[in-house]
Amino acid sequence: MKTNDLITPEGTKDLLFNECIVRRKAEEKIHGIFKSRGYCELITPEIEFFDVFNRTSRYFPQENLFKLTDLKGRLIVLRPDNTMPIARVVATRLKDAALPLRLYYNQCVFTMAPSLKGKSAQTVQTGIELIGSSSKMADLEVISAAIEVLSACSEKGFSLEIGDIGFFRELVSKLSVDEDQSETIRKLIEAKNYPALNDFLDKIGHNDITHALKKLPRLFGGEEVFEKAAKLFSDEKIDSILASLKSLYKQISKIAGNGRITVDLGMVNRTDYYTGVIIKGYLEGYGEEVLSGGRYDKLISEFGYDVPATGFAVNIDAVSQIILKNSKAQPKSSDVLLFAEEGYEMEALAYAGKLRSEGLVTEHSFDKNIEDAIKYAEAKNINRIVRVGSEITEVR
Amino acid sequence: MSKPLRIALTKGRLEKDTIGLLEKLGFDCTAVREKGRKLILPIADANLEVVLAKANDVITYVEHGVCDMGVVGKDTIMEMSGKFFELADLGFGRCRFALAAKKGTDFYEGYGVKTIATKYPNVARSFFESKGMDVDIVKIEGSVELAPLLELSNGIVDIVETGTTLKENGLEVIEDIAPISARLIVNTVSLKLRQKEIENLIGLIEENL
Repeated sequence: MKTNDLITPEGTKDLLFNECIVRRKAEEKIHGIFKSRGYCELITPEIEFFDVFNRTSRYFPQENLFKLTDLKGRLIVLRPDNTMPIARVVATRLKDAALPLRLYYNQCVFTMAPSLKGKSAQTVQTGIELIGSSSKMADLEVISAAIEVLSACSEKGFSLEIGDIGFFRELVSKLSVDEDQSETIRKLIEAKNYPALNDFLDKIGHNDITHALKKLPRLFGGEEVFEKAAKLFSDEKIDSILASLKSLYKQISKIAGNGRITVDLGMVNRTDYYTGVIIKGYLEGYGEEVLSGGRYDKLISEFGYDVPATGFAVNIDAVSQIILKNSKAQPKSSDVLLFAEEGYEMEALAYAGKLRSEGLVTEHSFDKNIEDAIKYAEAKNINRIVRVGSEITEVR
Repeated sequence: MSKPLRIALTKGRLEKDTIGLLEKLGFDCTAVREKGRKLILPIADANLEVVLAKANDVITYVEHGVCDMGVVGKDTIMEMSGKFFELADLGFGRCRFALAAKKGTDFYEGYGVKTIATKYPNVARSFFESKGMDVDIVKIEGSVELAPLLELSNGIVDIVETGTTLKENGLEVIEDIAPISARLIVNTVSLKLRQKEIENLIGLIEENL
């Protein structure tokens, strides 16, 4: 019989030594940034009821979820997202807590990866959720944290992109199209599929709105984007969305430095729970965004607690992968190898304790003679060898 | 000069048409014309690096960001899908996806579940899904036209250019599914990090289509 006991499922992998070191270091650095801003960690279960994710506002295609059932036959999934479970916790156990809540997490999300495409089924994400304020200061706090995270993780260059989902929503709401059609438009804008978008909108009609929507995917870049957008369409709501995004853009450009902040009004993520400002972060050397987030003021109310929120998540695996490419981090070898002569095992244990209390990483040798122990130390790059017998001698 | 932009071209006709287009833009493509067996070739005056790959691989390389751009047929995009920006219709490599069956038969007749032979199972599935039809799909690697002739399937979903092959084998188009042409695709991060260079190139291409 063929068994699969020597391999891991597709899209997963074992991390060894320096891969772990790099990942933990990245996590530590980022968590330091979160903690210094007053964020507290929470941990939610790896498995959740499917119902937590089965929401009209956020659609997780069921074919991408890892599924199980509980003892009563109810559908359970490996969590595909961290924000929904946190919304659940906030709406239940934290319902009476003083606002704002500052939460951070560091846990895996699971999605079935398409076969043989080199994508992961299991991804470690760390991120923050700031719950209870819809103020501009809250947006600034979250975005400035995102900038600090990106700059701490970037070896070469980073870029943070902002947009506002409201711009697209306002435009589409003025168009007489049904839900399916507006979803098609959204998809084409997201994919920046200029030719297909033009064809589709031509069928709907020729007016200011379709003209503006055709240009939407091209509205990305620096400050000039705001000028271009203002020319496309103007009414009270759209003007105010653009004005507040522009002032945010100017403020965060000051924090991040020149050229690091860009705008994309055509950023219309599938995660349609966003209600306002959205952000994406890129690091040079990785083919997808490493950070994404935004404002989601209506999500928690779906769990019965109406409270505004904003946040972002960082893909730790991506960050580690970039750092690994550029670094030669090796696990540190031990400081001391202890060789115990026969009958002096207890003395060796005691002496090891003493060395460790001095902060030296100490390991025991299991070799039969000191020559083999020296060979082992050389192979493992251990510089100091101590022999414990009737007396303690420094071999080298 | 900055690191060259890497563009993956689908080997064969699309590669030739793209090189023709780049030459029309005034770039010196001698290195690609005289490539020998090399797979990565420079176009120095455009600051481009051409990578030659099979159609499916063009998408894979662009998705992973190891190539910034790619030229690939809409047929491959529809079959593979993926996450990238589809910025321009290059206009060449035109043909279409169509459903074909033996001449003179009524494909939609009867209640039985139909069997479809195709090289493009995803395209076929989503076409029949949109019609609310359950079909059995059989993947064929070579000449799909054989399947209905050998009575393995009721019809085929395939690329049709002129229709000559269909005609010579006693088949006819029942329904067109989608038009196909070459597309310029761009990695989502490359477009943001190298916006100016990519937009300039696309601008040039659009002027010369």
